[in-house]
Amino acid sequence: MTAQITVEELAALMKKAAGVTVAPDLLLEQGESGFDALGVDSLGLLGIVGELENRHGTPMPPDAERCKTPRQFLDLVNSTLMAGA
Amino acid sequence: MSEPHDRRAAVTGIGVVAPNGTSTDTFWKATQGGLSVLDRITREGCEHLPLKVAGEVRAFDPSVTIEERFLVQTDRFTHFAMAAADFALDDARLGQADTSEEPYSIGVVTAAGSGGGEFGQRELQQLWGKGSRFVGPYQSIAWFYAASTGQISIRRKFKGPCSVVASDEAGGLDALAHAARAVRRGTDVIVAGSTEAPLAPYSMVCQLGYEELSREEDPARAYRPFTDAACGFVPGEGGAMLVVEAERSARERGADIRAFVAGHAATFTGASRWAESRDGLAHAIRQALAEAGCAPEEVDVVFADALGVPEADRAEALALADALGAHGTRVPVTAPKTGIGRGYCAAPVLDTAAAVLAMEHGLIPPTPNVFDVCHDLDLVTGRARVAELRTALVLSRGLMGSNSALVLRHGAVNA
Repeated sequence: MTAQITVEELAALMKKAAGVTVAPDLLLEQGESGFDALGVDSLGLLGIVGELENRHGTPMPPDAERCKTPRQFLDLVNSTLMAGA
Repeated sequence: MSEPHDRRAAVTGIGVVAPNGTSTDTFWKATQGGLSVLDRITREGCEHLPLKVAGEVRAFDPSVTIEERFLVQTDRFTHFAMAAADFALDDARLGQADTSEEPYSIGVVTAAGSGGGEFGQRELQQLWGKGSRFVGPYQSIAWFYAASTGQISIRRKFKGPCSVVASDEAGGLDALAHAARAVRRGTDVIVAGSTEAPLAPYSMVCQLGYEELSREEDPARAYRPFTDAACGFVPGEGGAMLVVEAERSARERGADIRAFVAGHAATFTGASRWAESRDGLAHAIRQALAEAGCAPEEVDVVFADALGVPEADRAEALALADALGAHGTRVPVTAPKTGIGRGYCAAPVLDTAAAVLAMEHGLIPPTPNVFDVCHDLDLVTGRARVAELRTALVLSRGLMGSNSALVLRHGAVNA
């Protein structure tokens, strides 16, 4: 398992856990409304975090569930994985 | 009823997802034709269970009408509910643009007896197979009885009064009555009804303890209420949602008034105490008629509960005689649910949809698979009967002891 989560992986997780389909290259272009505008609600984001924790075998920071945009989320999650590696 | 006429509760839209039709038109065609779709259960994981016959909804693809993110979060019973609500709102010509102007004037009421068993089973298998970290967060909402009310209101952005009735099968009628009350108190529109999805392994195992359940394996013989061959009921899935609307609101926007919810009452007589349900049902009928200002002789058709258990069938026939007098043995009675199964809370809502359609078409649908009636009832069997129908009485009883009666008046009746 790579230590870094790619935008493609996040897009696939959003589809699986929240039923939201977005092209990976559009994910990082989301503005401030981010996950809300895409239709990923708080339970959906919680599901994505849980799935990542299971895959990487490491807990994510509590703030991961509060990220507003995919970019914020990837930055936070990847810095956590880097620190743990 | 005593409320001002412009706040009478009208039915302006009907949405059906049923074993015999996944649109209101196909449902009515099959229902008035007396078609039975009861069949061997084919759902995965159910083959080995002792319950063999049910009414399955087979021609339904939820992804045609419902966005994937709502499908992922919800159980099959809520898929049915969201689709039926869409159909009902389309039928009432209430689009997103209409309802978004005044979101507080539209709410949702549903009833559910079975909940989201299929979703719940999947997540519980994750829990025991892999651990709590593998249970998805949507488990927290998907299997609750309240899920359909919540998801319909979220998806359609309704902000009016929302509730869930948990009162056994008869809760389907209670939900419609609750909607009518909300309309009389000042909400313009309530989307109300019930859908159920009890045909999944976990949900089916939960039902196996019901002694009223039919174990007959021949679909044509499994559900024959009011006959000597009655051997219990057959479950079904699907259901219906109705748009219940203030008369004034409907008239102002030029909507068709299909029927009025004119009276309702509910009683409780205890789980599986079928002999006692006679008094409970009779009392509910009398009170519902009183609320509607309707004389017994005005009832033109009865949609029976028709449990299919001899003691319960006898109690229902006697309750009709108790409440309607001599008219109870003359009024046409029907139970179209013998062709599609008994969908718990959804069953009386489908009956209500059929009753509205019957009044519109002047046609009483028959009771499939039933021939030799052994009670003093004029049960409509074989083929549909032509009749002028201005008032319909819908009855429902629950396995846990609830009894409800709902009186509907034809939309053209100005009573």
